[in-house]
Amino acid sequence: MNPREEKVKIITEEFIENDEDADMGRQNKNSKVRRQPRKKQPPTAVPKEMVSEKSHLGNPQEPVQEEPKTRLLSMTVRRGPRSLPPIPSTSRTGFAEFSMRGRMREKLQAARSKAESALLQEIPTPRPRRLRSPSKKELETEFGTEPGKEVERTQQEVDSQSYSRVKFHDSARKIKPKPQVPPGFPSAEEAYNFFTFNFDPEPEGSEEKPKARHRAGTNQEEEEGEEEEPPAQGGGKEMDEEELLNGDDAEDLLLGLDHVADDFVAVRPADYESIHDRLQIEREMLFIPSRQTVPTYKKLPENVQPRFLEDEGLYTGVRPEVARTNQNIMENRLLMQDPERRWFGDDGRILALPNPIKPFPSRPPVLTQEQSIKAELETLYKKAVKYVHSSQHVIRSGDPPGNFQLDIDISGLIFTHHPCFSREHVLAAKLAQLYDQYLARHQRNKAKFLTDKLQALRNAVQTGLDPEKPHQSLDTIQKTINEYKSEIRQTRKFRDAEQEKDRTLLKTIIKVWKEMKSLREFQRFTNTPLKLVLRKEKADQKADEEAYEAEIQAEISELLEEHTEEYAQKMEEYRTSLHQWKARRKAQRAKKKKRKQAAEEHPGDEIAEPYPEEDLVKPSPPEPTDRAVIEQEVRERAAQSRRRPWEPTLVPELSLAGSVTPNDQCPRAEVWRREDVKKRSVYLKVLFNNKEVSRTVSRPLGADFRVHFGQIFNLQIVNWPESLTLQVYETIGHSNPTLLAEVFLPIPETTVVTGRAPTEEVEFSSNQHVTLDHEGVGSGVPFSFEADGSNQLTLMTSGKVSHSVAWAIGENGIPLIPPLSQQNIGFRSALKKADAISSIGTSGLTDMKKLAKWAAESKLDPNDPNNAPLMQLISVATSGESYVPDFFRLEQLQQEFNFVSDQELNRSKRFRLLHLRSQEVPEFRNYKQVPVYDREIMEKVFQVRESVINRFLIAKQYFLLADMIVEEEVPNISILGLSLFKLAEQKRPLRPRRKGRKKVTAQNLSDGDIKLLVNIVRAYDIPVRKPAVSKFQQLSRSSRMFSEKHAASPSTYSPTHNADYPLGQVLVRPFVEVSFQRTVCHTTTAEGPNPSWNEELELPFRAPNGDYSTASLQSVKDVVFINIFDEVLHEVLEDDRERGSGIHTRIERHWLGCVKIPFSTIYFQARIDGTFKIDIPPVLLGYSKEQNMILERGFDSVRSLSEGSYITLFITIEPQLVPGESIREKFESQEDEKLLQATEKFQAECALKFPNRQCLTTVIDISGKTVFITRYLKPLNPPQELLNVYPNNLQATAELVARYVSLIPFLPDTVSFGGICDLWSTSDQFLDLLAGDEEEHAVLLCNYFLSLGKKAWLLMGNAIPEGPTAYVLTWEQGRYLIWNPCSGHFYGQFDTFCPLKNVGCLIGPDNIWFNIQRYDSPLRINFDVTRPKLWKSFFSRSLPYPGLSSVQPEELIYQRSDKAAAAELQDRIEKILKEKIMDWRPRHLTRWNRYCTSTLRHFLPLLEKSQGEDVEDDHRAELLKQLGDYRFSGFPLHMPYSEVKPLIDAVYSTGVHNIDVPNVEFALAVYIHPYPKNVLSVWIYVASLIRNR
Amino acid sequence: MATASPSVFLLMVNGQVESAQFPEYDDLYCKYCFVYGQDWAPTAGLEEGISQITSKSQDVRQALVWNFPIDVTFKSTNPYGWPQIVLSVYGPDMFGNDVVRGYGAVHVPFSPGRHKRTIPMFVPESTSKLQKFTSWFMGRRPEYTDPKVVAQGEGREAQPG
Repeated sequence: MNPREEKVKIITEEFIENDEDADMGRQNKNSKVRRQPRKKQPPTAVPKEMVSEKSHLGNPQEPVQEEPKTRLLSMTVRRGPRSLPPIPSTSRTGFAEFSMRGRMREKLQAARSKAESALLQEIPTPRPRRLRSPSKKELETEFGTEPGKEVERTQQEVDSQSYSRVKFHDSARKIKPKPQVPPGFPSAEEAYNFFTFNFDPEPEGSEEKPKARHRAGTNQEEEEGEEEEPPAQGGGKEMDEEELLNGDDAEDLLLGLDHVADDFVAVRPADYESIHDRLQIEREMLFIPSRQTVPTYKKLPENVQPRFLEDEGLYTGVRPEVARTNQNIMENRLLMQDPERRWFGDDGRILALPNPIKPFPSRPPVLTQEQSIKAELETLYKKAVKYVHSSQHVIRSGDPPGNFQLDIDISGLIFTHHPCFSREHVLAAKLAQLYDQYLARHQRNKAKFLTDKLQALRNAVQTGLDPEKPHQSLDTIQKTINEYKSEIRQTRKFRDAEQEKDRTLLKTIIKVWKEMKSLREFQRFTNTPLKLVLRKEKADQKADEEAYEAEIQAEISELLEEHTEEYAQKMEEYRTSLHQWKARRKAQRAKKKKRKQAAEEHPGDEIAEPYPEEDLVKPSPPEPTDRAVIEQEVRERAAQSRRRPWEPTLVPELSLAGSVTPNDQCPRAEVWRREDVKKRSVYLKVLFNNKEVSRTVSRPLGADFRVHFGQIFNLQIVNWPESLTLQVYETIGHSNPTLLAEVFLPIPETTVVTGRAPTEEVEFSSNQHVTLDHEGVGSGVPFSFEADGSNQLTLMTSGKVSHSVAWAIGENGIPLIPPLSQQNIGFRSALKKADAISSIGTSGLTDMKKLAKWAAESKLDPNDPNNAPLMQLISVATSGESYVPDFFRLEQLQQEFNFVSDQELNRSKRFRLLHLRSQEVPEFRNYKQVPVYDREIMEKVFQVRESVINRFLIAKQYFLLADMIVEEEVPNISILGLSLFKLAEQKRPLRPRRKGRKKVTAQNLSDGDIKLLVNIVRAYDIPVRKPAVSKFQQLSRSSRMFSEKHAASPSTYSPTHNADYPLGQVLVRPFVEVSFQRTVCHTTTAEGPNPSWNEELELPFRAPNGDYSTASLQSVKDVVFINIFDEVLHEVLEDDRERGSGIHTRIERHWLGCVKIPFSTIYFQARIDGTFKIDIPPVLLGYSKEQNMILERGFDSVRSLSEGSYITLFITIEPQLVPGESIREKFESQEDEKLLQATEKFQAECALKFPNRQCLTTVIDISGKTVFITRYLKPLNPPQELLNVYPNNLQATAELVARYVSLIPFLPDTVSFGGICDLWSTSDQFLDLLAGDEEEHAVLLCNYFLSLGKKAWLLMGNAIPEGPTAYVLTWEQGRYLIWNPCSGHFYGQFDTFCPLKNVGCLIGPDNIWFNIQRYDSPLRINFDVTRPKLWKSFFSRSLPYPGLSSVQPEELIYQRSDKAAAAELQDRIEKILKEKIMDWRPRHLTRWNRYCTSTLRHFLPLLEKSQGEDVEDDHRAELLKQLGDYRFSGFPLHMPYSEVKPLIDAVYSTGVHNIDVPNVEFALAVYIHPYPKNVLSVWIYVASLIRNR
Repeated sequence: MATASPSVFLLMVNGQVESAQFPEYDDLYCKYCFVYGQDWAPTAGLEEGISQITSKSQDVRQALVWNFPIDVTFKSTNPYGWPQIVLSVYGPDMFGNDVVRGYGAVHVPFSPGRHKRTIPMFVPESTSKLQKFTSWFMGRRPEYTDPKVVAQGEGREAQPG
C-alpha cells in the first residue's frame, strides 16, 4: 500500500474513534443519505456504520432536518466541529441537535453571504480558494452535467480538501469529459455512486495536513489515479457530491428537498456510451505501458554510466527468469509511477533478489485429487538393495552399480633401524642414508645450477651497464640493474649455503665410513657388505685455480660495491643527524643564555635546571670499508665451503661388494644375534577404513633387514575410502606377532590408475623398547659406539615400506573409480559437519593444490555462497598448514544461539529470576508473573537461602505411560476368573474388605481435587471433668502408685465430691475437631471417657501456590491437628421464672488434648491407621483421668502400663497421591570399594529374605556422598548442664537428655532439602541447623546414651505415624527400652502402646544387625544381637570390622544458652499471642486477667523443671486458692521452638478464643527455658476464666 | 515481590472453533482449553468450553460445524509460555459410549489479525492388539489423563537407556 494512503486511513480511524467526531461523521452521513434518498445502502459499507444509518433510513420523512445537517456538513470541512458536545438522544434528532443546527445555520448563512460576495470577485482566477461561487448551484439538480464546471470544481477541491481527497478528485477528473446526459436520467457518475458509494466518515484532514495538500496540488495526480483502488474511487465520488452540495445555497437545497418525492420516481433512459467515447475515456483513464525496451539512460539518474557489478567481480545471484516483454512493461510502469527511479539498480535493471526457487521440491507434493492419490500410493517394485553400513561416504545406490577396485602393491619393507641391528648395521644404515642423500643432491646439483644462475645474472648486469647499447630510459635500466644485483646477492647466498652443505655431507660420509672401518677392525668381523669407494676426479688445476680466483674477485668487487652503497647511505644519515644535532645544540645554547639572563634578572626564580644535556651525543661518521678486510672475509668463506682449486673432486661410491664374515668366525654374541635375526619374520596387514581386508604372507627377516613381499592386493570396495593403513607385524619364532607400527597410505587420486602408479616409500617408526642380550643394539635403549660409553645414541625401530596404490582398470578399460560427484558431496558435507578440519588429511580429500587449481581455472565465483565451503577449504589448504585446534567443541554453535551474554544475564534481575525459576530453586519454583521490567523487581527477592545440598542431584521425573494415558487393563484369565468368581460373591459382605485405590499422579490436579479423609474411630481414657470444688477445700495429696504417674488420685472421685453430679450425668462429652490449613471439621459429640465416634471427616487440601507437582507436595509443612474437646453445656438463666418455659444453654468447649500429624507423613504413608497417644497437657485444670477400677479392671491391668489417652484414627488422602520415587542413584563415596560392594551384597541378601524390613547400611551425608552408617555413631558428650542436674541418677539424666533431644525442632528432609532424599547430617550439623528428622534425633540421642555409658543402638523400623523411622534402643537393668527420639518418650519392650511397630535392623557404632527373626514386632522379638540365628550381622569373621573412623566431631561444643535473648523472645511471643487471640475474637471484647496471668507465669518454670509431671495437684490447689471465684479452664502447652507460626497454630487449634461468654477473661503466659545450643523449650499457658456468680 | 502495579501486556483472543473434518465419525462435540506458562494469567473470558453436539453437513464437504466462540483475554509479563489452545473432540462410538475422537493443540497466533488454523487431531493408540479389541468392545478407549498434555513437553524427553 502506498504509504500516503495509509496515513489517510489512519486519520480516518482516529476520526471514528473520537466520539464527538464520530457523531459528526454520522450526521454527515445522514445528510448524505437523505440527500440521495433513492440510493440504497451500499453493501460495501462498514457494518458499524450500517447500523447507525439504517436506523435513519427507516424514517426519511423528516425533510426539515436535512437542511441544517447539510449545512453542518459544509461546516465540518471548514471549521472543525470538535468543540461540539456529543448529543445523547435516542432518536438522534433531539432538541439539542435542532438548536445546535439552528445556530450553525445562522452562522453559516452569515459566512456564506460574506464569502459569496468575496468569491464573486475572485472567479476569474484559475484557482479559487476554499469558498465556492454560488453560481454552481444548478449543479445540484443535474449532477455532473457540465464538464467544464466540474473541472473548475475539481480544482477547487484540490485546494480546499485535505490531501486525502486527492485521489478522490483524481477519479473525478477522469470522468470529467463525460458527455451530456439527457436530463432526468441518472448520470454515469450517479449510477456509479449508486453501486459503489462508500459512506466513510468524512476525513477531517484538511486542517491537519496542509503540507500534504500542497503536494497534492502538484502534478502527482495522474500517478495517484493509477494506484487508486475501487473503494477509494467510490469515496471520491461521494466527495464530489459533497462538494457540489457545499457549493450550493442552502435555500435551494431546501427547495430541492421538497421535491424529494419526485426524485424517487424519476425515470431516465439507460445510459449509453459509444465505443468511441468509451475508448477515449479509457485512453484518458488507463495507462497502458509500452512493451518497448526502455533505454538505459532513462532508468538511471542523469549523467550516470551503468555499472555492472558482476563485471567488477562482485557476486550477484542468478536473477529469476522473467520474460523480456514483461520486464519491459514493468520498467515502463515503474518509470511512469516513480520518477525517482528507486526501483532500478546501478546497472539499470530492476532490483531483484536472487532466484529463490530451489531446483527440487522441499516438501512432498500435495495431492489434490483423489486419483492422483491413488496413483501415488501405487506399489512400486524395487529390487532390494543391500544395506551398506558406513559413514557419510557411502557410495549410494543411485550411482552406477558395480564395485570399485583399489590395487595395493606392496613390494617390500626395509628397516632403517631394528633391535637386531649390530653397531655396524647402525653405521651402515646411517651411511646408506647419507649416501642416498648425497645421490639425491648430486642428481639435483643445485650448487651447479645456482652457480650458473649467478653467472647469468652477472652477465646481465654487465650487458645492462654497457653504455653502447640502446636504452629506453635510464631509470628503468637502473631499476633492473638494482633488481639484478639484489638477486645476485640472494643467489650467491644460496649457492654458498648449498656448496657448504654438499661439502659437509661429503665430509660426514667419509667420517661415517671411517668409523665403520675402525669398527670392523675393532670387532674383527664384518656384518655388512657395504663398501665405500672414493673416486678422485682430477681436473685441470690451472683452469680451476683461475676460475676460483675470478670467482673470488667478482665476489669481492660485488661486496665492495655493496659496501660503498651502504656507506653512502650511512653517510647521508649521518649528515642529517649531524645537522639536527647542531641545530638542537644551537637552540639549547640560546635557551641557556636566555635562562641565564632570566636568572640574573630574577635570581630567586632559578630553582631547577629542567633541561639536562640530553641527546646531545654527537653522531659519529660511519667508517669507510676496507677492501682488504672484505677480501679476507671472502677468502675465508670460500676456503670453508668450496673445494679448493688444488684439491681433486671426490666422488663417493657405495657398493655392496664387501664380504660378510661367516658365522663360524664370529664371536658368540654375534652368532646369537644372527640367529635371532633369522628367527624373525614380518608380515603386513592391510586395513581399509580401519577394517582388515587382507594381509601379506609372513616373510623372514633377511640379514640385511630387508623383506620382500611383492604382493598386489585388489580391494573391491563399495565405500568411499577414508583411510588405508598398513600394519607391520613381527613374529619372533613361534610367539604371537607384535604390532610394530602402522603406516598410513594416502588414497590415490582419481587419475592414478594401475600401471601408472609410481612406487613410493613411506616411512614408519615404532616406539617399542627392546633390549637384547646379544650384539643387537635394541630399540629405544641408549647405546654407545665408544668404549667408555659416552656419546650415547638412542634409536627407535623404523623403516620404509615401498608400495604403490592405484585404482584398477576394468575389463573394458574403464577405471573402477567412484564417481567424482560422489566424492565432492562427500567431503563437502563432511566439511560442513566437521568443526575442525583436522579430518581432511585422512579423509577422502585428494590433492588440495589440484582442487585450488581447478577452482581457479573454472573461475568459480568466490562470492557465491554455494561455493563458500569449497573456497574455505581451498584457502585453508593452500595457506600451508591447516589449522588444527587442540580442543574439541562440544556445542560449537552454542555461542551463536546464546540469548544474551552471561554477563548480561546476570546483570538483569528479570533474567536472573527467570533463570532461578527454571532451575527450580525452591523459593522461585512456582513464581508467577515475573515482572516485565527490571525496575519492578525488588532486590530482596534474591535473598536465596543458602542451599545446603548444592551437590544433590534430583533426577528428572519421567512420566510413565499410565501417567499420561488412561487405559483399561486387559482382562487376563485370572482377572476374568476373579470377576466370574465375584458374581457368586455376596453383594454386601458382612466384613467388607478395603479395596486398593487408583493412584493419581500429581501433575493434573488442581485446587479442590485433593481431600484429606480423617476417620475418627474411638478414643480411650479421655480425661473426665472434675466437679468444681470450693476454694477452701484442701486436697490431700494422694499417695501415688508407681505405675500411675498421671492418674489423679481416686480420692477426687469419692462420692462426697460427686455430689454435684446428678446420677447418670456424663463425666465428659468429648468430640473431635480436625483442623488443617485453617479448615475445621468436627465430629458429633459422644459421651463418656471411652467414646466411639466412627465418623469420617473430609477436609480440602490446597497445595502452596496451586502447584500440585510432586516436588511441591513434598514440601508442604502443614500439620493436621486432631483436637479433642469436651463439650460443656451451661444453663444460662436470666430469670428463674423462665425455667419452666424455656431452656437457654450455652455450649462451651474445653480443649483436652491433641494429636498432630504432619501432612508430609500422610503423603508418604498414603494412609495412617492406628491408635495414637493423645498429647494431653500436663495440667488440665478441671479434668482428671478417670480410674474406673471396678468396671474395667481386667482391661486396665494391661493398659495401666502406659499412661495417657489414646485415639484410633484412620487418615488418608483422596485420591491417593503417588509420592515421588526416591532416587536410587549412585552417589560418589569415599568409602572403600570393597565395603560398598559388601553393603550392596548385604542389602540384597536382606531384601531377598525380608523385603519389607528396613535395612540400612549406607546413607547420604549432607554433601551428597555415600557414607557407611556406623560412622555416625560415636559417644558424644551431652551438655554439661544436663549432666549436672541429676548427678547421681542415671535414669533421670537419660530422660533429661532425651527431652533435650526432643526439643530440637523436627523438620522432614523433604521439606528442608527439597526433593525426595534422605540426608543424614552429623550431630554437630544437626545442632547447628537446629532442625532435622527422626534419623538426626535418633543419632544424637544414641550418641548421648553411648557417652553416658549405656548400651545403645540405633533402631531402624516402622512406626506410626511416621512410617519408616529411626528409634533408639537401650539396654537397662535387664530390660530393653525403646526411645522415641522426637518426642523424648520411652517405652518398654513389651509396651503395647509403643508406636514402634516393627524392627528392621539395629545399628551400633561398629556393626549392623539385620533382623532375621520370624516376627518383627518389638513385642515378639529378641534383641540379643549376639545370637547369629536371630540377627544377621554385617561385619563377621569373614569380613571383620575395619575400624572405620567416625564422621562425627570429636566433641560437641555447646554455647551457653542466652537467658536474656530467651526472655526477650518470651515477651515477644506473649505479646504476639495476645494480639492474635484478640484478632481471632473480632466481635468480642477480650479482657486479660493480669492476676491470673502472673500466677500462671509463676507456674510455668515449675512445669519445666518437673518436665510437666507431678505438679498437677499442687497446681490446682494453688490456683484454687487464688482464683476461687472463677470457673477456670486452661492448660499449658509445651513445644520446641522453631518459629512463631507453629505456636500460633497450636494456640489456635485449642480453640480457647472461641468462648463467647460475655464476661470471660483470659490469661496467657509464656515461658521459654533456654537449653544449651539455643534449644528452647516453650511453654504457653492459656486459660479462660469465668467468674462464678 | 513485585511492585503494586506491575506492567503487563494483554493478549485478547477472539475466535471460534469453526468446523472439523472427521470423515469416519459423526455427532461430535468438542472441548477447548488453554495451556499457558507461569507468567500468564487469564483476566477475562472463559478458559474452557464445551460445545454443542453437531452432525455432519449433508453436502459433499461433510463438515462438522460448531462455530463455537472463543473469547478470552490473558495478561502476561513474558512471551515465554504463550498460550496454546487445546482441543479435544468426543463423540459416541458404535455402542453409544462417549469416546475421544481426537486431541490437538496449536499456539494462539503470535501476530494480530485474523488467522485460520487447521489442527491435525490424533488419539493415543492402545498398547496392544488385545487392548485395542477390549477397549473397542468396552468402549473405554485410551485417553489422556489430561488433554493438556498434548500441549506440554514434560516427560517427552528421550528416555535414557
